[in-house]
Amino acid sequence: MTATATAPRDMLAGLGRWAAALLGALVLFALLLLVKGANPLTVLWGMAVSTFTSPPTIEQIVIKSVPLILAALAVVIPARAGLTNVGGEGQVVIGAVAAAGVGLWLDPSLPGPVVLVLLLVGGGLAGAAWAGVAAVMRLTAGVNEAVTTLLLNYIALDVLLYLIYQPWKDPEGSGQPATRPLEVAARLPLLGTTAVHVGVVLALVAALGTWLVLRRTAFGFRLGVVGGNPEAAGRAGLPVRRLLLAAMLTGGGLAGLAGAIHFAGVEFKLRPGLTTNIGYLAFLASWLVRHRPLPVIGAALLLAAVTIAGDSLQLDSGLPAATVHVLTGLLLLAVLGWTRRKGDAT
Amino acid sequence: MSDLLTDVLSGGVRGGTAIMLAALGETLAERAGVVNLGTEGCLLVGALTGYAVAAETGSPWAGLVAGALAGAALALVHAGLVIWRRADQFATGLTLMFFGLGITSLFGVAYVGKAAPGFAPVEIPLLSDVPVLGPVLFAHDPVTYLSYLVAPLMWWWLRRSRSGLLVRTAGERADVLHLHGYRAGLIRGGAVVAGGALAGLGGAQLSTAYAHAWFEGMTAGRGFIAVALVIFAAWRPLRVVAGAYLFGALLAVAPVLQARGHAVNQFAMDALPFVITLLILAVIGRRTLRAAPQELRRVFESSSSN
Repeated sequence: MTATATAPRDMLAGLGRWAAALLGALVLFALLLLVKGANPLTVLWGMAVSTFTSPPTIEQIVIKSVPLILAALAVVIPARAGLTNVGGEGQVVIGAVAAAGVGLWLDPSLPGPVVLVLLLVGGGLAGAAWAGVAAVMRLTAGVNEAVTTLLLNYIALDVLLYLIYQPWKDPEGSGQPATRPLEVAARLPLLGTTAVHVGVVLALVAALGTWLVLRRTAFGFRLGVVGGNPEAAGRAGLPVRRLLLAAMLTGGGLAGLAGAIHFAGVEFKLRPGLTTNIGYLAFLASWLVRHRPLPVIGAALLLAAVTIAGDSLQLDSGLPAATVHVLTGLLLLAVLGWTRRKGDAT
Repeated sequence: MSDLLTDVLSGGVRGGTAIMLAALGETLAERAGVVNLGTEGCLLVGALTGYAVAAETGSPWAGLVAGALAGAALALVHAGLVIWRRADQFATGLTLMFFGLGITSLFGVAYVGKAAPGFAPVEIPLLSDVPVLGPVLFAHDPVTYLSYLVAPLMWWWLRRSRSGLLVRTAGERADVLHLHGYRAGLIRGGAVVAGGALAGLGGAQLSTAYAHAWFEGMTAGRGFIAVALVIFAAWRPLRVVAGAYLFGALLAVAPVLQARGHAVNQFAMDALPFVITLLILAVIGRRTLRAAPQELRRVFESSSSN
């Protein structure tokens, strides 16, 4: 998790802080369960056992972490340029919508793998475009991107609901409105005999690629300069506006890809509540590790594990699944309270 | 036709009240220089606490007070983390949103489908007979009437009172406060907590006067609408009222039309408030942002470069 820490001592201190935060959060969570009248030991034990000892749930955690990693990278890259992308949720939704659109349009008329590639590309482009709206507004009208990306989340959600309640609604579907499912041939293939789709490879490659680009290329270096001091960067002759735009588009593209992968690997049809807060969780994952691309993988796995544990909580203890947000919240609050921001003078 | 307009406008006031209270709370926090994305969480804990206390004590008024206290308590966590620990405001706010969602579903199961005494509409004699304005403004529950007072009071207080001036200074030039021996952190904290109390009140209104029920995630993004609304209203309390009723009315159009047998897609209407806010920002973006408190602009500009 602390792979990029500079010295082993830092790494140990970092791990210690994380462990303390995790422990503190667990203790508070246990207290709340006590207040609620549940036996915290049974609940936590049951959660841990059913989450970490059976291969299907471990696979579930990995699957869940895929869109989280990609959507967290969508926060990491703009953050390097000093931009706050709170719009991961909307970009993920629009990515899934575009992927579904490509599927509905081309699906059985073209071979499955071709449809799959096109829908992944479509999802990425749609996510980039969605983030692009915020980038253009920032560059032309000077509107802060944190505000616009947040607003765009709700518009994306309404676009999704609009489509599945009317034009794209599957007439043969029953119950909850949804689109026609994606043909099996166009879905993401699975890795070997596991239930994990190949999206996990894409996510890891994206994280590694982001790390390489930010760390080893002129582009990555320039982004860092712009993020550190845009004025100085401009005076030094860097194309600041183009760099900001590029950071936002790349980020949005990754979040859109996350949506497309979630669609073609897990969901196969659009439905309400498709993204289950992936974008917001990913923002927090990226924030947890101070927007560093490789540790993002660890943070995403952690949040994915907590989410999956929430499902087992519901099955084993009969508590609502959303209860697990208490644990997520406490964990994050502990980390937020424990770590001071660097370079904040006053 | 005028019937339709009355229904939409009256629905706008009914549905806009919780948004308005939350947005006024957010206005207060932001005027002091703190963004609270946890407003959604404050609304949720306010809604559950309000409903639960009303159910247990039999008094919706007690519920209202408890809801405000719950919202204030959650905002206190936000204030503590961002002021005392200098945590990132966006990340902390989002975390509190998740925490609020979790804690209310954990403790809320017991109240799903359970009846609780709530506020019923009270028509104000004479005033409620005025055509259009009567049913739109004067045929509501007592909480809505109370909410009419909040924005003018806040406007007056921010503008005219010494403590209001301190809050505004905390948002504009915190260093000046320091020079005069005030502690900007305390003033900001107070504004954030008071803002949380207003959001909690809005939540309690939602459960005890509007929906007359508690269910998981019942605020459905109203807290985020409130955050957007504050920008839309350029941080002015009176404009927040207009915006909240406008957003409330837009949300009321589709159900009203559906009740008359017209097929409307709810979601196209739901997106409108956000699209309108974006368009306004695109057109008058720079001017709007110039209206933002200085310290708040610093927050927006520095949040990702840690």
